[in-house]
Amino acid sequence: MRKILALITILVTAVFADEAHDIMKKLDENMRGQNIYIQMRMRVVSLGHERTMQMQSYSQGTKKSFVKVLYPPKDSGITFLSLDNQMWQYVPQIERIIKIPPSMMLQNWMGSNITNDDMVKQSSIVEDYEPRILKKEGTVVTIELLPKEDAAVVWGKIITNIDISTYTSNKDIFYDEEGKEVRVFLYDKVKKIGKYFIPTYWKIQPIDKQENFTEIILEDVQYDMNISDQYFQKSALKRFSR
Amino acid sequence: MFQLALKNILFYRGRSITTAVLTFVSTMLFIIFVSIQDGSHKSMLENSLKIYTGAIEIYHKEYRDTGGNEYLIEDVKTITDKLSEIEDIEAFAGRYETYGLLSSREHSAASMISGIDPAKERVLSSLKEARREGEFLSENSGNCLYMGAELVKKLHLKMGDEVAFVGSASDNSFAADILKLCGVFKTGLFEFDGSTSFINRSYFDSLMSAQNRASYITIKLKNMDDAQRVNSEILKLLNDDALESLTWKTLMKTLVEAMEVDSIFGYISLSLFFVVIFFVIMIYGFVNVSSRIREFGVLRCIGLSGANIFRLLFYEIFVLSSLAVVLATPIAGFLCYYFQLHPIVIEGMAEMYRDYGVVSDAIPLNFDIFTILWNLGVIYILNFLSIVYPYFYINSFKPIEASRHV
Repeated sequence: MRKILALITILVTAVFADEAHDIMKKLDENMRGQNIYIQMRMRVVSLGHERTMQMQSYSQGTKKSFVKVLYPPKDSGITFLSLDNQMWQYVPQIERIIKIPPSMMLQNWMGSNITNDDMVKQSSIVEDYEPRILKKEGTVVTIELLPKEDAAVVWGKIITNIDISTYTSNKDIFYDEEGKEVRVFLYDKVKKIGKYFIPTYWKIQPIDKQENFTEIILEDVQYDMNISDQYFQKSALKRFSR
Repeated sequence: MFQLALKNILFYRGRSITTAVLTFVSTMLFIIFVSIQDGSHKSMLENSLKIYTGAIEIYHKEYRDTGGNEYLIEDVKTITDKLSEIEDIEAFAGRYETYGLLSSREHSAASMISGIDPAKERVLSSLKEARREGEFLSENSGNCLYMGAELVKKLHLKMGDEVAFVGSASDNSFAADILKLCGVFKTGLFEFDGSTSFINRSYFDSLMSAQNRASYITIKLKNMDDAQRVNSEILKLLNDDALESLTWKTLMKTLVEAMEVDSIFGYISLSLFFVVIFFVIMIYGFVNVSSRIREFGVLRCIGLSGANIFRLLFYEIFVLSSLAVVLATPIAGFLCYYFQLHPIVIEGMAEMYRDYGVVSDAIPLNFDIFTILWNLGVIYILNFLSIVYPYFYINSFKPIEASRHV
């Protein structure tokens, strides 16, 4: 009898683990497709006032992405390239390509509440974290993501609420290594684009600075288009800056 | 009883001289050891304070814990105007610190870049004295960077090389510029030398939109011992709940704790020495008392109580201790005072040990009357304790038995 119970437990755990992996995989597919082009508007609210930026982003798979700042005019032409967890930046004002060192990866990206690491490592959520289903309520599944033993990640834990009717997240909570809540990502306004679903409104709220937040609105999203490989070379930083 | 004690002291000269000499040596060593220990700690602290940290610093309350542009001090001028009213302040300045990315052609590194007022900084810190190459900043140094030697190594820079700076301005907007390496410093504080650069405040303010803003205001006092009192005065003058004014004791908590631990280990080492001295004095006292058992027996037989015998021993040790202390204290006190004013200088020590944070060749002693008084208290207590066992030993004999003791 005990053996049967143990077998059932193992099977149930395995099924849930597989289901969690499956959900995370589908979520990841929705967020990036085979490749994805996004034009977005970012509103950063801090110090009692706000700044708005506009950007274009090109991503291919999980390892390559290119971002170009379009607005404000002062920052227009600043470009970022992520290749295999490394990141470079081109600043037209000083005409320099700068490699962002690992020690700067947790710095805020362009004064927003997302970090350089977010720009590079979002791809690794599926690879670096082990998912586990915590609960299911209707179509919403709460999944806990714990870093794998050998994973070089900054978060101690991530709790994500995924709507399995669209395989999109509506809330991610990020915890540090001591289990303290650090920030919350809220997602809304899910749109179906081709065969993919994607939330077009994101809000990033740091826990220790409640009066600050960053909103990202995806204005234009195109999946599986023909993005030239030229975007994912270091020379692109300067070439596509103009 | 006191006269009897004096007679005994003169009669048993060998024991008296040994006890007095040992007490004299202990007193001298103890006062000078504590003075060197306190002096070198004070010097370490002053050196650390000289390098960069102020005796008092004013912050926005959340700045040290949370950080970020939200917690910069706004309207620095209003605060510095108030600080000008305090007489005990020698100098003060607002510093604007930010973390940014510095990049040479091939290498990048994160750095704390601090906008400083070069003229004021010459008085406030020893950054200028820590210069190894090139020039310290001046009023007209523009985009010149004064960079820590370890950071220069990380970025593989040579004097005059250009360095790209990328960071967030005080309004969180994007800031970037090409700066130039004009000077290199080395304080010996590895972390500091490996991550810090300085730039002229007026140039940096326009790049970072930080006019009349500061990460904190650093203050140098005429006398560092007044820190607590002046700090209270500053808090009263500021009268602003959003600001905090902290003395070096809070700012350099780690160093203060390290010095306390060092003192404890110093006292432990010294206590081993005292244990030896204590036992030598006690053994001499014991041998002396052992040879006088008959004498004590006779004294008890003619009516002296146990308490009288204790008083007799106490007077003897008190007179001998006082004699030694009276001779040792002025000599030790004078040495402490003299070497406080004229520290012992070991040429080349700072150069040799710069990598370990030593920035001065001088080892000053610390002259403090209160410290000397408690040192003397310890000497007296140890000497008094040394008569306890001999006293109990004598008391273990009955008066008749003692009077017949051979």
